[in-house]
Amino acid sequence: MTEFSKHLGCQEVVELVTDYLEGTLTPDETTLFEQHLNFCGGCVWYLEQMQATIATVGRLREEDIPVEARERLLATFRNWKRS
Amino acid sequence: MIAYKFLRRDGASVFTHFRWPLPNGGPGPWVEAQVAPCRSGIHACRPSDLPLWVNDLLYEIELDGDIAEEPTKVVASRGRLFRRIDAWDDELRASYTRMCADRALKLAQSASPPLADWAAVVEPSIPEGPALLGFVAARISEEISGTSAYDAERGRQADWLTQRLKLSR
Repeated sequence: MTEFSKHLGCQEVVELVTDYLEGTLTPDETTLFEQHLNFCGGCVWYLEQMQATIATVGRLREEDIPVEARERLLATFRNWKRS
Repeated sequence: MIAYKFLRRDGASVFTHFRWPLPNGGPGPWVEAQVAPCRSGIHACRPSDLPLWVNDLLYEIELDGDIAEEPTKVVASRGRLFRRIDAWDDELRASYTRMCADRALKLAQSASPPLADWAAVVEPSIPEGPALLGFVAARISEEISGTSAYDAERGRQADWLTQRLKLSR
């Protein structure tokens, strides 16, 4: 995103949430992102869901995944581009 | 420099969730952090910034050390909460929310043609609180008259808050 208006919409917040969590937004982008969070309960909820997901998935080891679930995931990824 | 800081109802920072040491019969202890706007540092509001960051509790904060003045905030290397601004209570939050809602409705209905879609969201948004209603009023103003009107509406909200809270500019 090269140019910002003075506020972001929910869709833009969703698109930027990973960059926000990784700390790669510019200061101006972060300001607009946080201004939106300050009034939008839905986006706060989305951000918290992302943080919870990252925290949970980050703790998973390969051996924690049941074989059946791992095979299903691998099959899904193998077919990703074909579908 | 004296500035203002909103905290959540539990006394934590809105975004970092840092637990601020609160004033207790005198100013709280100094908190220090390197200044890097939006990443590190003590973030606070000037009176003109208040509508953008409205939240549950409001404190007067003393800033010191390196201070960076940004367009919508100030960031300092040292800060301490000086006192809670008790006037920012549930009643005033409700009054501010109502003022912003009334203003939003008036703006939406005065547009030609009236902005019915915007008008329809005002009353249902009231339970979400003052920050959302302030944004809605400013966005309607922007819809009608452009980005400078957004800023002007935010300025109007800042004036309302500054007067009611008896803050010095």
